[in-house]
Amino acid sequence: MSASRRRAPATLGLGVLVAASLLTACRGGTGTPAISGTPAPVPNVVTLVVDAGPTAAGGAINHAYVTVNVCASGSQTQCANIDHVLLDTGSNGLRLVASVLAAHAVALTPLSDAAGNTLEECVSFVGGQTWGPVALADVHLAGEAALKVPVQVMNDTASGAPPPATCGANGTLINGVSGFAANGVLGVGVFEQDCGQSCVAPATPLALYYGCTAAGACAAVNAPLTDQVTNPVALFAADNNGVIVTLPNLQSANGDPSVQGTLVFGIATQSDNALPSSGIAVLGTDAAGDFRTAYNGAATGMPGLIDSGTDSYAFSDATIAVCASGAFVGYYCPAVAPLSLSAVNTGVGANATSSTVDFALDDPNSFVAGATAFIDLGGGGGSTTFTWGMPFFYGRTIYVGIDQRAAGLYTGPFYAY
Amino acid sequence: MSGLVSLGLALAFDPAALASLGGDAASIETDAAALRGTPITRPSPAYTVREIAGESSMDVQEFTNNRGVVFAVSWSAPVIPDLRLLLGSYFGRYTDALARLRQAGIHRTVRIDSPELVVESSGHLRAYRGLAYLPSEVPAGVTTAELQ
Repeated sequence: MSASRRRAPATLGLGVLVAASLLTACRGGTGTPAISGTPAPVPNVVTLVVDAGPTAAGGAINHAYVTVNVCASGSQTQCANIDHVLLDTGSNGLRLVASVLAAHAVALTPLSDAAGNTLEECVSFVGGQTWGPVALADVHLAGEAALKVPVQVMNDTASGAPPPATCGANGTLINGVSGFAANGVLGVGVFEQDCGQSCVAPATPLALYYGCTAAGACAAVNAPLTDQVTNPVALFAADNNGVIVTLPNLQSANGDPSVQGTLVFGIATQSDNALPSSGIAVLGTDAAGDFRTAYNGAATGMPGLIDSGTDSYAFSDATIAVCASGAFVGYYCPAVAPLSLSAVNTGVGANATSSTVDFALDDPNSFVAGATAFIDLGGGGGSTTFTWGMPFFYGRTIYVGIDQRAAGLYTGPFYAY
Repeated sequence: MSGLVSLGLALAFDPAALASLGGDAASIETDAAALRGTPITRPSPAYTVREIAGESSMDVQEFTNNRGVVFAVSWSAPVIPDLRLLLGSYFGRYTDALARLRQAGIHRTVRIDSPELVVESSGHLRAYRGLAYLPSEVPAGVTTAELQ
């Protein structure tokens, strides 16, 4: 890491506040400039849309997208609104496809590791992996600004090194717009950094961050927290303790053409983002970001999470038939539909609430062609995680509280609904 | 396109040299060295478990049946361990099956189910878990629950 990159936390907040004010001014904000020390509330809501995704995606389903304004760090001119960035409550940090940035003429400069080599990252999404350098960007969402955010530039074949043999060992590389069905991924999960302390100082660095020489030779390296890909929300001047995701219920069990909802920044920080004091389940997570889910009357739970980046209820149940053909190979095709199911979520740590969730699965072969939002979609998955994917979001308001940040009466990490 | 990527990587790295799933007990030592972990043996009537515990909560278990064949591997780790190493000669079948999944996007849970090979893999950064086994080599009476 270069010395100029290192920043003092005390000055960071000030820098962000000043920049946020400038941003408001540049965008013709109507508010009167604050003259006291208390910053005025900033616009903190962006539109969430579930649709077919970017043209190159070839038709996405159950993908919730936002538009993210990204600038090369420190630049007022090298900026672009990147549409169809996947909202992902199951990961942390912003990742953008290099070709999309290039098409908008936004060039992000990669960071260097401690040895002066390019800092790159190999992230696994289980079904595939992404590869690309870590670079600083200024990220704007509604009136919020996060400056000098480490982001991943996925599939950067121009300035980045090719992936080492160990990247791709867990499946194919899914770097492109078509693989992700998105122009990028906005990870707004329960942590500030994607890896955290596990990547800071082990004697054998995890196979996640890599230092790559100019000749393209890459080796796993440790990365300080300040260089790790970071949840932009955590770097906002205010409204930085989490997000609230709201999507309406669907009109049809066989699929809606598209749906719109909202992504709100901050929890219990403004008048529009209150955390109700009753009637909600606040589920604390462990150090990995999981609460516990006991499926179908099981005595013991398995790790569970609420994940807008997953298109289905993803869990393992050998008694439910899996679609063998059609567009939904690998998803559940229950013989009798709808199939009613139930699971109990229990928080970990201080926020140890329990909550029973009833849900249903339909046969995806009965889904309407061209629809993009499906409420009763289940995916056969690994037996060791219960993933409450996009179907869980329809008709709910979901709160995602960031680790060690207070939100009303609660402190993250938590998911609440 | 993804198929080409896989081919390129396969040429640079010979999976047969590090066969684990389907390999013999000696291959576990190779894995332990590659994963920089220390294997611990836990015998059971129907099989032997070698647990390779490494830094940063990385944990891999390899199960050998009484015929000396590694019939299952499971893992729990902050990043997915090298599956080309752990799946050995079965890695290609795994990636072929992944390529047949039709819907694009992030897949945080994957289940590959075939008569020869079953792979269940799930999780996210900081906590991945998975299990791969060869159904025909699993000793009678052993359930998948005890392999995790």
